[in-house]
Amino acid sequence: MHNSEHYSEDVKIPMGPQHPSLKEPESFLISLRGEKITASSVRLGYNHRGIEKACEDRTYTQGLYLIERICGICSHSHSTCFSQAVEEIAGVEIPARAKYLRTLIGELERIHSHLLWLGVAGHEIGFDTLLMYTWRDREVVMDLLAALTGNRVNYGINTIGGVRRDISSKQKEEVLKGVAILETQTKYYIDLAKNETTLLKRLQGVGVLSHEDAVRLDAVGPTARACGVKRDVRKDDPYAAYAELDFKVISVNSCDVYGRTLVRLGELMESYSLIRQIISKIPEGAIAVKLPRKIPAGQAVSRYEAPRGEDLHYVRANGTEKPDRVKVRAPTLANIQSVSKMLEDRYLADMPIVIAAIDPCFSCTDRLIAIRDSRNKEKNTVTWETIRLKGIEWYKGQGIDFKSLNKKLTESF
Amino acid sequence: MLKALFHILIFPGLGFLFVFGFFVEYADRKLYARFQNRIGPPWFQPLADFIKLISKEEVIPEEADSTVFKLMPVFAITASAAAILYIPTLGERSVFAFSGDVIVVLYLLTIPTFTYFLGGWYSRSVYSMIGAVRSLTQLFAYEVPLFLCILAAALLADTWSLSGMVVFYSHHLGYWFCNIIGFGVALICLLGKLEKVPFDIPEAETEIVAGSFTEYNGKLLAFIRMSFNIEMVAGASLLAAVFLPFGLHLPAAVMFLFYLVQIIFIVAVISFLRSLFARVRLDQMINFCWKYLAPLAFLQVLFNLILKVVLPR
Amino acid sequence: MNEENIKQELENKFSYLKDAVIIKRKGRIFVAVELDKFDEVFAYAVKQMRFLALSAITGLDRGDAFEVIYHLNQEGRILLNLSVSLNRENPQINSVCPICPSADLYERELEDLLGIKVNGLAAGHRYPLTDDWPQGEYPLRKDWKAKISNQGVQNA
Repeated sequence: MHNSEHYSEDVKIPMGPQHPSLKEPESFLISLRGEKITASSVRLGYNHRGIEKACEDRTYTQGLYLIERICGICSHSHSTCFSQAVEEIAGVEIPARAKYLRTLIGELERIHSHLLWLGVAGHEIGFDTLLMYTWRDREVVMDLLAALTGNRVNYGINTIGGVRRDISSKQKEEVLKGVAILETQTKYYIDLAKNETTLLKRLQGVGVLSHEDAVRLDAVGPTARACGVKRDVRKDDPYAAYAELDFKVISVNSCDVYGRTLVRLGELMESYSLIRQIISKIPEGAIAVKLPRKIPAGQAVSRYEAPRGEDLHYVRANGTEKPDRVKVRAPTLANIQSVSKMLEDRYLADMPIVIAAIDPCFSCTDRLIAIRDSRNKEKNTVTWETIRLKGIEWYKGQGIDFKSLNKKLTESF
Repeated sequence: MLKALFHILIFPGLGFLFVFGFFVEYADRKLYARFQNRIGPPWFQPLADFIKLISKEEVIPEEADSTVFKLMPVFAITASAAAILYIPTLGERSVFAFSGDVIVVLYLLTIPTFTYFLGGWYSRSVYSMIGAVRSLTQLFAYEVPLFLCILAAALLADTWSLSGMVVFYSHHLGYWFCNIIGFGVALICLLGKLEKVPFDIPEAETEIVAGSFTEYNGKLLAFIRMSFNIEMVAGASLLAAVFLPFGLHLPAAVMFLFYLVQIIFIVAVISFLRSLFARVRLDQMINFCWKYLAPLAFLQVLFNLILKVVLPR
Repeated sequence: MNEENIKQELENKFSYLKDAVIIKRKGRIFVAVELDKFDEVFAYAVKQMRFLALSAITGLDRGDAFEVIYHLNQEGRILLNLSVSLNRENPQINSVCPICPSADLYERELEDLLGIKVNGLAAGHRYPLTDDWPQGEYPLRKDWKAKISNQGVQNA
C-alpha cells in the first residue's frame, strides 16, 4: 500500500467490515484526498442469515422467535410487527390490555435504544464521558425491562394473539419511578446538547441531507425527521394503542447530525409522557386470545415505528400452519442509501458520526476464517464444524462435558 | 562518572521514569474514570498491562520497514528520558544543566512525535499512514504556542538555561504571576503534545483504528505506551519547573513531595480536560490553535518583554 | 386523499384495472397489474398520484409463477401495493430506479435471491449474498433446499 509517489491521487481506505467505530459489520470503501472524502461506496450483506427462508419452514409461533432475533435492540419492534401482520390475516382483534402492554414495552425499548445511541454517538466523536453517563442511565431502563419481561434485551413478550406476561401494580410504580429518574437525566443531556461547544462543533453541519433528498431516497425515522420530513408511523398509520394516546411528532429542520440528536432527545421526552399515559389508562382484561394453528390464506403488510424508523413486514399465508412468505424491511435498509449522499465533500473525521447518526442496525452473520501463513504459503481453512468440535474439546479439558450436562439437566426435571 | 550513570539510569533517569510513569498513568486513568462515574483500574493496572504486552507475540507486517518499525519506540523513550535530565526535578538545578538547555529540552520533547510519525509511515498500513500524517499536522498547530510560552518565561528570567530560570523564579516568587497566561496556554498545548482528548486526533480510535500504532503489538507496543507515560512525566515536569516554581530551598524530601504534588496537579488538570470535551476535527484544531492560542502566547511574550524593561531586577 | 378516491382515480385512468384494485382495510390497497402494463401504472402512481416513497419490494415464489410486490407510500398514510406476476422460466422486469432511486438495493435482492432479471439495473455489488456464492443457486425459490457443506468457503 505504497502511496508516497502518488500523493496527489486519491487514497482508498476501507472502513469495515470490522472497524472500531462500526458496531455491526458493513463495508464502506472511501476515497480520500488528504482528509476530504471524494467518493464512497457501501457494501452490505455481511449480516445475511437467511431468516426469511427459515421462516417458511417454521410455524408462525416458531417463526416469531426467529423474527425477534433479527436484532437485539429493536427485537420488540420486529416481533410486534410480525404478530400484527399475522393477526390481520387471521382477522383477529387482540384485547385492549395486550395492545397497551405492547405499547409500553415498545416505548421502553425506544428509550433504551435512544440512550444507547447517545452513548455511541458520544463515543464516535471521542466524547467518552457522554458514553459512560448515558449507558449508566440505560441500566435503569434495562432493569425495568428485566423486571417486566425477564430479559434485558430480546424481551420475548409477544405471542401471536397478544402478550405473554401481565403487569402488576407494584411493577407499574417501579416503572413510574424509573421514568422520573430518566427524565431528569434527559433534561441534563438536552442542556448539554444545546450548550457544549465541542459537541456542537462536531455535530453541526455534518452529514447534511436536504429535505428533497430525504424524500427522494425514502429516509425514515429520526434521520428523516431531522430533515423536516414529518413522518411517524405511530401518527400516520396508528397501531397498538397509539390511536388513543396523545403525543407530538418531533421534527426539526436542521438536516444534519445535530438535528438527529435533538430529534432523538425530543422523542425520549415524548416517550416518558407516553409511558405515564399508558400506566394511567391501561384497561383491565385478558392479555391474549388464542389463534388457530392454521392461518387462512391471505396477505398483510404491517408497519411499526421502530426506534430507527419505519419497519415493514409483509406476510403471506396459504392456509397451512407455516407462512408462505415473510418479508422484513428493516429501517436501516431505507436509510443506508442516503449515507453516500451525506458523506459527499466531508472530512474523514465525520465518517463515524455520520454513519452512527442513522443508527445502523444490521444483524449477525455466518462467515468463516482463513489463516494464511505468509512464510510457507500454507492456507488452512477452518469451518464452523471444526471450531465447534474444538470448543467441545476445550471445555472437556476444563472438566465440562456437554453431553452429560444435558442428561443431568433433563434428569433433574 | 558513577554519579552520571546513577542519574541516567536511576534518578531522574530511566528507573525513576519507569516507576513514576506507571504511577502517573494510574493517576490519569483513575481520575478519568472517577469523573465518568466509574470505578477505574486498580493501582497495579499499568504494570500489569506492560507485563502482558511484553509477553505477547510480535507480528510485524510484511510490507513494513522492519528496522524503522522496531527502532522508533526506543527512540521515543530515550528522547523523553534524555529531556528529563535537563529539567530540574529535585532542587533548583537539573543534573546536567548548561546555558541553552531550554532549546535542547524543547527539541528533545519534539522527537517522540517524529518517531510516532516515522513508525506510522513505515508501517505501510493505510490507517497508520493517515495517523502519522495527522500527528505531524497537529505538531504544526501546538508547537509554536508552546515554544512561545516557554520563551516568554525565559525572557523574563533573562537566561537560556532551564535551571537558571528556576533559580530566578524561586528567588523572585512574585514574578510567577506574570506567566499565568503562558501557563494556561502551555497546558492546552501539552494536551496536544501528549495526544489526549480533545486533541487525540492522530490516534482517533473510531476513525483510524489506532492511528500510527495500528500495527504495533507485543513488546514494541509496551514500549510505545511507556513512551507516552515518560513523555507525560517529562512534559508535566517541564511545565512544573517553568510555571510552578514553589517549594524550593527546603530539605530534599520536602522538595520531592512538592514536585510530586505539582506533577499530580498537572495530571489532574489534564484528566479533567480529557473528560470534559469531545475530540475536535483536525481543521478545527488548527483553527483554534492559530486563532486563539498563538496570539495569546504572543501576548505573553510581549507582556514579559515590557515587564523586563519596566521592572527593577 | 382517501382510499376510495385512489381506487376511483386508478380505475378511471386505467380501464384494465377495473376489478383489480382491492381495499383491504384502512390504509391498505392491493392492485394486481399485468407485466406489460406495469411500467405505466407505476410511473403514474409515483409521479401523478405522488406515492413518492418506495418502502420495499417483495419478491416471492408462488409456485406457478413469481410475484413481485412494490409497496408504495404516500406521506406515510396509505400503502399502495402493486403486484406483478412473472413467469417462472424467464422472469424479467424493468428496473424502477430511474423513477425511484431507492429501489436499487431491493432490486439487487430480487436478482440474488430469486433469480429475477432486472433490466436496466446499474452494475454493482451483489446483495445480500457473498461474492463466491455459486451461480444459479437462488435460495428463496421454493424448490431450493439448503445443502450442508463440510468444505467451507475458500475465499474469506
